[in-house]
Order: sequence, then C-alpha cells, then structure tokens
Amino acid sequence: MARLIGGVGARLVGRVGATRFVLRPPTVVAVLAALAPVVLATTIAPAAAHHVGTYTPQDNAVSAGFKQVKFALEAGRADVALALFERGALRREMQAQAAALPPALEARTLAALRAGDAREVEGHLAVFFSALARDLALEAARQLGRPGVRPPDAAATGSKFLEAIWRYYNLIDFAVSTRDSKRSAAMRLALDDAETYARTAAAPDRLRASLGQIAQILTDVIEASTPSRRNP
Amino acid sequence: MTAGDAWRLPPRGVLLVAVVLIVLAEVGGASMARFKLPLARWARDAMLARPAVHGLVGVRDVDERILDEALVKFDAGLRLFHLHAEGMGLVILATTSVAATLAGAGGGRLLIALLTVGGAGYPLGYLLWSVLIPYRGIEGGKTIAEWVVWMPFGGAAIVALWWLAGLVALRMAGRWRA
Repeated sequence: MARLIGGVGARLVGRVGATRFVLRPPTVVAVLAALAPVVLATTIAPAAAHHVGTYTPQDNAVSAGFKQVKFALEAGRADVALALFERGALRREMQAQAAALPPALEARTLAALRAGDAREVEGHLAVFFSALARDLALEAARQLGRPGVRPPDAAATGSKFLEAIWRYYNLIDFAVSTRDSKRSAAMRLALDDAETYARTAAAPDRLRASLGQIAQILTDVIEASTPSRRNP
Repeated sequence: MTAGDAWRLPPRGVLLVAVVLIVLAEVGGASMARFKLPLARWARDAMLARPAVHGLVGVRDVDERILDEALVKFDAGLRLFHLHAEGMGLVILATTSVAATLAGAGGGRLLIALLTVGGAGYPLGYLLWSVLIPYRGIEGGKTIAEWVVWMPFGGAAIVALWWLAGLVALRMAGRWRA
C-alpha cells in the first residue's frame, strides 16, 4: 500500500492504523514528464500568429427594430409588432428621414400595422430600407467622384459603403424579390459588380458607375412601390 | 530523495517579475470592469478625432460599424492582456523553476533570463495594441505591437521554451538509459 502511494508522490507514515498521508515533493523527473506536453503545447501554439479574436457585426437599432417587427408579424402578433414600431428606433428613423422618403410612408406603415396587414407592412418597410440603401449608394458615388481620391482609397471607401448598403438591402431582399424578381436580380448583379471593382482597386470609375446603378435600381424599387405609381 | 532530485528555486528577481506580472493582470482586469465606459468613451473620442486613420467617411451607417469593430478589438486587447499576463506569470514561475533545476550555471542564467523577459514582455504587447488602436487603427496598431513586443519577446519565450523542452528530453533520456 505504502509503495503504491509512494509511486505517485505520497507515502504512508507513522504507526500502522494511524492513516496519515504526507505529501512529499514530487521527483524532478516526474514533474518534467508531466510538464513536457505543456511545454510543447505552449511553444506550438504561437504558430497561430497572435489570434486576436473575431468581430461579428451587430445590428444597429434600426435593423434590429425591423427584425423585431417582422418576426412579430410572422408570429401573428400584430399587436406586438405595432407596439414595437410605435416605441422603436425604426419609426424614429422614418420620421427623421421623412424628407427623403415617399410621402406619408410612416403613416401608411402605422396604418398597415394597425390593420394587421403583414404584406403591406413588409412593402412599406422595403421602401424605407431601399431609401436608406439608395442614399448610401448616392453618397458613396459622390465621395468617390471627388477630385484627388486615390484608387486604393476609393476602393476602401466603396467597400465600406457596399457593406452598409448590403446590410440594409439584405433585410428586404426577399420582399423585393417576391414583388419584382427582375429588380431583385439586377440589384444583386450590381452589388456583385461593385464588390468586384472594390476588391481590385483598378477601376474606381466603374465602381462609381456600379454604385450609381445600385442607386437607380433602388430608386425604381421605391417608385414602383409608391401608391401613385402602383395605381395610376 | 537523491541530490539529483532536489529542486532549485529561480532567483528572487524572477519571482518578483512573475508576481508583478500577475498583479498587473489582476489590476488590468479589475480596471477593465471598473472603467469600462470611460475607457470606451476615451477610445471612441480618440478615434473620432482621427477619421483618416480609421477610414471614417462621415456617414453614420458606415462609421458606426467601423467604430464598433475598433472598440470591440480595443476591449479584446485589454482582455487578452489580462489573460496572458495571468497565464505567463504562472508559466514563468513553473518554467524558471525547471530551468534552475536542470540547466547548468551559465546556460541556466541565460535560459532563465529568456523565459523571464520573454514571458513578462509578451503580454504587454496586447496592452500596447489596445492603446494604439485609437491612434493607429486596428491593423496599424497590431503591426507595431508585433514588431516591438510580440515578435522579440514572444520569440525569446519560444526559443527558451524549446531549449527547456530539449533539456527535459535529454534528462529523461538519460534517466531511462540509466
């Protein structure tokens, strides 16, 4: 028994029956044997080259508000969707952007929510996010068109704008494609083109042209959804 | 227990360095929690004051995403400093004890110095990276931290750990042969 315990670094001491265990320091070789895998693992790990974590973009208040309203409508809880819209950042942003939106978009969205018309709400929100994405595309084209912008800077700036445009358009792509599949396909192709030009940095003019095309497609989506265009 | 089995303690200076590193890690961790908001505000203000460094374009929907990523990395740098300083403090204690026991007089001093300086310096790279993010951007700050701290100090620690691993292997092989 004593030999068995001693083998793992402890020994039985004192009189028989006085079961007292005294831990003694482990032998150097025993510790080294245990430490060797740790030393090896520690030295191999830095081969991963300073992994400093990954970043996952989060929703902003507006896109989070959109998702909350959408999921509440999908769950058949129009009352919850209405409450979320009335108190949320989505409505505040609609009010703030009213000048750039089709007339009374916020009022029509509110009316559709009160009526529990999910499809109508989805359409109005698609117009809203199309307008946000269109304004981003126009601003990107304007910034890229400024004199003295170097091609690498233009590509970097364009890429950031495209990311923001996609974040908004991605929310409404399904709604747009179910209403107008051609414009949805055209939008995806234009985004794809623009991303290609932003990656190469070789053709800032083409990148700018693609951004203009994106803005035009989104303008068409907005105009096609306004009551005057739908019911001439 | 034979004389060959006796453990030798590393020099007091090494123990002090390891303990100070662990204390810094704890103070850093506590400060991160206590001053989370002021730190984030300071970093955000410093980034907004340098739009060109961070590629800010003056549009909220674009800039917020850039600032958010930089703030997340700023926080990650502080967390990694806390984590690595705690861990490397213990690594210094363990490895220098082994080195003091195994290596001879001349080689032992150099090995212990490499383990101590490399192990204590390496975590400071994360702190440096965090501090540099608002001024030089995520990648710019990382490049500086890599060249100034991570590569020299981390390299020293890696060399020393391999050296120690070799010594351990030699000692074990000798024991088995005997």
